[in-house]
Amino acid sequence: MKRIKKFENIRWEFLGYRLVVMVFILALANCTDFVEVDPPKNIMVSQTVFEDASTVESAMADLYFSMRESGMVSGNYGFTTRMGIYSDELDYYGFDVQLVELYQNQVLPANTEVQTWWSEAYTVIYGANAIIEGVESSSVLEEADRNRFKGQALFVRGLMHYDLVSVFGDVPYVTTTDYRVNSAVSRLPEVQVLERIESDLLMAVELMGNSDIDNMERTVPDHFVAKALLARLYGYMGKWDKAEDMATDLMSVFDLEEELGNVFLKGSGETIWQLSHGELPGNTQEAVQLIIPLIPGQSFAMTDGLLAAFEDGDLRRTEWVDSISDAENTLTLYYPYKYKARFNATESLEYSIQFRLAEQFLIRSEARAHQGNLVGALADLNEVRNRAGLVDVVVHTEGELLEAILGERRIELFTEQGHRWFDLKRTGRAAVALGALKPSWEDTDLLLPVPEGELQANPNLLPQNQGY
Amino acid sequence: MKKLSFFVRRICVFLLFYLLLSPLFSRPVMALSSSVAFQEVVSGMVTDVDGEPLAGVTVVVDGSDLGTVSGLDGAFSVMAGPDDLLVFSMLGFQTVSIPVNGRDAVDVVLEEELTQLGEVVLNAGYYTVSEKERTGNIATVKAEVIDKQPVDNPLAAMQGQMSGVNIVQNTGVPGGGFEIEVRGRNFINGGTDPLYIVDGVPFGSQSLGSNDVSRDIVNADISPLNAINPNDIESIEVLKDADATAIYGSRGANGVVLITTKRGKSGKTRFDARFSSSLGRITHFLDLMDTGQYLEVRREGIVNDGFGDFLENPGFASFWPDVALWGDDRYTDWQKVLIGGTAYRNNAQLSVSGGSEGTQFLVSGGFQDQTTVFPGDAKYQKASVRSNVNHRSGNDRFQINLSTSYTHEDNLLPRSDLTFKAYTLEPNAPELYDENGNLNWEDNTWDNPLATLEQKYQSRSRTLLANALLSYSIFKDLEVRASMGYTDYRMDSDKILPSSSRNPSLNLTPQSYSNLTTNASRRSSWIVEPQVQWKHHWDGFGLDVLLGSTFQQQTTSQLVMRGRGFPNNKLIYNMAAAEEVEALNSLDTDYRYNAVFGRVNLNILDRYILNLTGRRDGSSRFGPGRQFGNFGAVGLAWIFSKEGLFSESSLLSFGKLRGSYGTTGSDNIGDYRYLDTYTVTGEDYDGVTVLSPTGIFNPLFGWEANNKLETGLELGFFRDRLFINASWYRNRSSNQLVGIPLAATTGFPELTGNFDATVENSGVELDMRAVLLRTDRFQWSTTFNLSVPKSKLVRFDGLENSIFSDRYVVGKPLSITKLYNSLGVDPETGQYEFEDYNGDGQITFTEDRQWIEDLAPEYYGGLGNSIRWGNLTFDLLLQFKKQLGYNTIRYKAVPGYRGNSSVKLYDRWREPGDMESVQVAASGFVIGAGQGDIQRRSSAAVSDASFVRVRNITLNYSVPGLDGLDVDVYLQGQNLLTFTHYDGPDPEQTINNQLPPLRQFTLGLKIGF
Repeated sequence: MKRIKKFENIRWEFLGYRLVVMVFILALANCTDFVEVDPPKNIMVSQTVFEDASTVESAMADLYFSMRESGMVSGNYGFTTRMGIYSDELDYYGFDVQLVELYQNQVLPANTEVQTWWSEAYTVIYGANAIIEGVESSSVLEEADRNRFKGQALFVRGLMHYDLVSVFGDVPYVTTTDYRVNSAVSRLPEVQVLERIESDLLMAVELMGNSDIDNMERTVPDHFVAKALLARLYGYMGKWDKAEDMATDLMSVFDLEEELGNVFLKGSGETIWQLSHGELPGNTQEAVQLIIPLIPGQSFAMTDGLLAAFEDGDLRRTEWVDSISDAENTLTLYYPYKYKARFNATESLEYSIQFRLAEQFLIRSEARAHQGNLVGALADLNEVRNRAGLVDVVVHTEGELLEAILGERRIELFTEQGHRWFDLKRTGRAAVALGALKPSWEDTDLLLPVPEGELQANPNLLPQNQGY
Repeated sequence: MKKLSFFVRRICVFLLFYLLLSPLFSRPVMALSSSVAFQEVVSGMVTDVDGEPLAGVTVVVDGSDLGTVSGLDGAFSVMAGPDDLLVFSMLGFQTVSIPVNGRDAVDVVLEEELTQLGEVVLNAGYYTVSEKERTGNIATVKAEVIDKQPVDNPLAAMQGQMSGVNIVQNTGVPGGGFEIEVRGRNFINGGTDPLYIVDGVPFGSQSLGSNDVSRDIVNADISPLNAINPNDIESIEVLKDADATAIYGSRGANGVVLITTKRGKSGKTRFDARFSSSLGRITHFLDLMDTGQYLEVRREGIVNDGFGDFLENPGFASFWPDVALWGDDRYTDWQKVLIGGTAYRNNAQLSVSGGSEGTQFLVSGGFQDQTTVFPGDAKYQKASVRSNVNHRSGNDRFQINLSTSYTHEDNLLPRSDLTFKAYTLEPNAPELYDENGNLNWEDNTWDNPLATLEQKYQSRSRTLLANALLSYSIFKDLEVRASMGYTDYRMDSDKILPSSSRNPSLNLTPQSYSNLTTNASRRSSWIVEPQVQWKHHWDGFGLDVLLGSTFQQQTTSQLVMRGRGFPNNKLIYNMAAAEEVEALNSLDTDYRYNAVFGRVNLNILDRYILNLTGRRDGSSRFGPGRQFGNFGAVGLAWIFSKEGLFSESSLLSFGKLRGSYGTTGSDNIGDYRYLDTYTVTGEDYDGVTVLSPTGIFNPLFGWEANNKLETGLELGFFRDRLFINASWYRNRSSNQLVGIPLAATTGFPELTGNFDATVENSGVELDMRAVLLRTDRFQWSTTFNLSVPKSKLVRFDGLENSIFSDRYVVGKPLSITKLYNSLGVDPETGQYEFEDYNGDGQITFTEDRQWIEDLAPEYYGGLGNSIRWGNLTFDLLLQFKKQLGYNTIRYKAVPGYRGNSSVKLYDRWREPGDMESVQVAASGFVIGAGQGDIQRRSSAAVSDASFVRVRNITLNYSVPGLDGLDVDVYLQGQNLLTFTHYDGPDPEQTINNQLPPLRQFTLGLKIGF
C-alpha cells in the first residue's frame, strides 16, 4: 500500500479496492466445500441403507434375487441341472462345452460354470456380511428388525458356504466385507467350515425365533428355514440325533400335500422356503430348463437309469414325469414335470422351491434308522411312499432300510438341487453308481476344481483339489 | 461469399485490435498537453485496393505514443507534426509508412498481404493468440469451410479438415453420434471424448440415450452436439498439445474443442437468407446372393448336415420355410426396399445482423426437415433460434457480450435400424403386404421387417445455451472479466411395441404384450469464471498475464420407465393406462468442479515467446482429500525468420520453431465412484425393490495423468503463399484408472483404482496451405493435412491376470484386436483351419488368439482445393485414410445358414480336393458344429478398409450486377465418391448393422442485402 500511496493518484485507491475484491473472489477459488457433493438419489451410501428397515429389506431382496438368478441355487445355472448331469439323473443333449465337461465328469479348472458358482456365492456372502455389519452398527433400527435381518443374513451366509463346501471341499469362510482381508483368505478344512455353518445357522434360528413375520408365501427365510437347512447339515455331518430334532420341529408346523400335483404349486403346504418368481411371463427357471417343448432343441432329459428306478404304480412317474417325441416318432425323451408351466402370462403359479417337508421326512427316516429306531424310520419313509400311491416298504435289516431310504430320496427328490449327487457323495456310492455309467469317471471327481483364476488372484487358496 | 467473409474478417480484426490496443490510446489528452504547440490535426481515409473503406487500421505517429484507429468509414484523425511519419498497420494488410509533409489530409490505400494466411487469430479458450505467435498446437476450421458442408453436426464439418483429429460418423440415421479421437486413445478404460466448450461454456457431449429405448435405432448414441447449428458457427478450434490444453487441466487430456458462434457486426443492418434442399442415398449396396445361389447353398447345407431326408417332408417345412415354402422364383433386393429410399433434407436459415459502433446484434433462426432412406414416414426436424448482442461503452472500458441459443429437435424413427435386415433377409422372403394391404406374415413363417415401422421411436431434444461475457478495463493494462454460462439439455424419447406389430398368430394382446418405454433425461450446468488480465508492452518486450477461477456445477438426471399391458393399442402412449409400470433406470448425479488457472505469456522482440499455463483443479468425482490436482505446461516459440540472417531472404518469409511440454488430466470416470454404495437395480424380489451393493469404499483413487510433449516447425515461403506446419508429438498417459481385479472372495470382481499402466500416443502431423495461382480473375488455393499416429501400451503390470488380458498386449496399441490365425479351408474336410499356437491340438479362446491386428488408422488426412474464377467458386475436399477393418466375414462365415449373406460365401468348398476360401455349407441346426464362429474372429475377418473419399464438392455462383444484393447459387455433393477395396457397406464405419453415412446432393440459394 505504501508504494501505491507514493503515486498520490486518487484513482489508485479506487482501483486498489477493486483489486482487493478481485483477489478475494479468486481466493475463494479453491474451496474444498464446493467440490463435495451429496450422494445421488438413486444410489445410497451404505451407512444410510441401514438407517431404515425398508432399505435393509431391499438389500436382503438383492440376496434372494441374486440366488434365484445365478449361482448354485438358481434354477437356470444351479445344482438342479448341473449336478443332474454330473450324476446319473439327466442326460445332456446340448453343445455347451462347459456343460459337456460336467456331463462327462471332465471339468477343467477354467470351467466358467464352476467359476460362476464360486464368484456368485461369495458375492452373495459379501452382501450378507454387509447386512450383518450394517445392522450391528445401526443405532436407528429397532431390535426386532435388527435380529430378523441379521438372522436372515446369517442363514444366507450359512447356505452359501454349505453349497460351496459341498462341491469344493475346503473353502474360505468369509465373515467380513473388508476386501483387503478377503482377497488373501485361506481355505478352511471342511469339518471346520461345517462347524461355522452350524453356528451361523443356530444363531440365525435364535435371532429369527422370536420374529413373527407374515410370510404366507414362504418366499423369505425364517427360523423354520434355518432349521430345515440345519437338518440337512446334520445329516451331512452324521449328527443324526440333531437332524431328527430339527425335522421333527418342522413337522409340527408343516404338512405334506396330499395331491402330488399340488406339491410344486406356489401355495403348496409342504413348502418351507421357495424363491419368488422372476419377470413375467416367467414361472420358474427349473421349468424353462427341464421341460422339452420340441425335439430337436432339447438340452436335458431324464436318464434311463432314473426312469427305471421308479417302481411300478408310482404316481410320481406319471404326475412328475412327462415325455415328448419327435415328428417321426423315432425318439422319445422323458423330462421332469414337477414344475409344469414354462410361462404364464398373468400370474406365476409356481415358485422355485428350496426346502420342502418331504425331504425332512426322509432326513428323519434316515436319522432314525441310523439311531436304531427302525419302526419310526419306516413310518416316515412310508408316509412319503404312500402319498405316491405305493405300498409300505418291506425291509429286514438296517442296511436294507438305509438302501430303501436312499432309493426313495432318489425318486422323491429327483432333479431338485442335485440331491442325488450329494447323496451319492456323502454315502460313498458315487464311484460305484457312476463308474460304470461314465467312462471318464475318476474318484477325484467327488470335488470340483477351485477356479483357476481364483488360485492366481489369491495364492493362499492353493493347493488345487486333487485330480485337477 | 468472398466479399462477405472479407467483411467479416475485417470487422473481427477491427474489433480485436480495438480491444487490444484501446488502452494504449486511452490518455491522448495528457499527451496533447505536452506537445500541442507543434501539432496539427491530420485526417484522412484508409481504403483497400478496391476502394472499400477499412475500419480498425492502427495509425501511429512514428516515434511517439500518439495514434488512433480508423473508424467504420475508414476515416481517421490524429495529431501529428508536419514532419512526422504516419504508420498504418492492420492484420492481413501490408504496413505502410507515409510522411505527413505538412499536409492536413492523408488518404491511404492498404494492400492486402499477398496470402490468405495473414494473421489468423485463434481462439485458445481463455485467451486469443495470433497464428504466428502461438506456442501451442491449435487446429482450426472457419465458417467459410463449415458453411460449405450440408451437415447437421459440427463434428461432421470437421471430418478430414484437421490433422490429428480422427472423426467417424457412426450412423447415417439422423440424430446419431460420432466417434472422435484427438491424437489417439489415451486411456484404457475411459472414453475419447474431448472437452467441448461452446462460447466459453463447457457443453456435455455424452449421450443421454438409453439402451432400453434407442439401442436398436441409433445405438443409444444421441449426440447432444446436433443441437449446435453448423451455420451458426464462426470457427471451431481444436487444442491438441500441452501448451494449449493445460489451462483446461483435468479435462484437457483428450484435447479441447472450442466452438465459437457468429456475432453481429457493426454497419448497416444486413439480412441473410439461405435455402437448400438435399437428396441423400446409400452410397453402396452390398453384393449379396440372389435366390438361386441362396437356395442352392441352403439346400446343400441341410443335406451336408444329414437332414437331407427331411427336406421334402412337409412336416419339417417349418424348420426351413425359406427352402420349402417361399418358392424358388421370388426375388427381392431387400437393400432397395428397406434402405434404398431417398432421404430429403430441406433447410432454411435466416439471419439479421447489424448495429452501431458501440452495439451490435445478430439474430438467426434455422429450420430443417429431413427424412430417411427407410420406408415409412420417419423424419427428423430441427428448429433453432439464436441471438447475440455485443455492447461496448462509450469510453471503451466496459464490454458485454450475450448469446442465447435454443434448439428443438424432433426425431421420429422406426424402432430399429433396418440395415441389418436389408443385408440378411432371405432373397426369396415373402411379400411385405398381403392383397388387403395388411402386413403379410406368410402363415407365420417370418418376421415381417416392416413391423418395426409400427414400433415407433421418437426423441425430442431441447437445448438451451446461454452465456455472457462481461469485461471492464480498470486501467490501461488491466482488465477484469467474468464469463458466465448456463446450459440445459433435455431429451425425452420413447418407443412403443404394440401387440398389433407382431405376428397375429402369437395371439399377443395389448393387455399382455403392448409396451411403452420412455426415457426422460436432463443435464444442466452453470459456470462462472472470474478473470483478471494484465498486459503490458515495453519496447520490444510484452507481458500478458491472466488469472482466473472456475466454479461449475452439472446435474444429470435420467428416468427410464417401461409400461406393459394396455387396455388397447390406442392408449399405448399413456403410461397411466399401463397395467404394470416399472422404472428401469433412475439416475440423478451432481458434479461439481472448481479451479484456479493462469497464463503468463512473455514476448521478446516478437521473436522469442514463452507461454506458461497452469491450473489447479478440484472435482467432486474423487474422494475426500483426493479432489485437487495440479496441471501445467510450458510452451516456447522462436520466430527465427525475424533474425537478421533471414531478413533478406525472399524465399523464406516466415519460420518458427516451437515446443511444449506439460501435464493434463482426466476425471472422466463417472460420478461417485469412491463411495461404498447400494444402487437400485430396477429389479425386485417378491415386490421388494432390490438394492444391490455396487461399490467398495475406495477413497484412494485420483486423476489420470497425461503428459504431452510436442515440437513443431512452421515455415512460410514466398511471402507465405506456401505455408507448412509440421509437428511431432508424444503423449504419455499414466496413472490409468482401471478396474484392478480382485479375488472373488471379496465379493467384487474389481476395484477401480489408479494403475501403473502407461499408454503412449505419438505421431507426426503435417498441414500445408498454398495459394497456387492468383490473378484478378482467378485464384487457386489448396490445403493438405496428414496425420501419422502411433500408439502403444508401454507398460501394464499384471496384464496377464487382469480382465484386459484378452484385449491388450504390452508394446501394442490399445486399438488392437486379438484374432485366431485362419489358415483357410482344409481341402480334405472342407472345414476352416486355424493356427494352433500352443500346439495342444485344440483351438482355444485364451491360447490361440495370437494373431494381432491394429484397427486404428495408419495414417489419414485431407486434401482441399478451392478455385475461384470470376464469380464461380469450386471447392473440393478429399479425405483419405489408411486402415484395416472388419469385413463381411466378421458377420457371417458359414454358407448355408438361414439369412442372406455376401455372395463371397457362394464360392464354397464342395468336395474333397476343392481349394476354396469358404468352408462347406452347413444348415445352422447343429449348434457348435463347424468353425464358423472361430473364422469370424480370425485374421480372415480383417482386411484392408482404406479409402479415398470425395467428401465434399461445392460449386458456387455469385450472381453479379445486382446492386447491393448478394445472391449465390450453389450445388454441393457430400460424400460423393469413395475409392476403396473394402467389401462392407462403408469403410468409414466398419459396422455392418448400422446405416452407413449417406451421399447427399444439395442445391442451395443464398441471398444477402
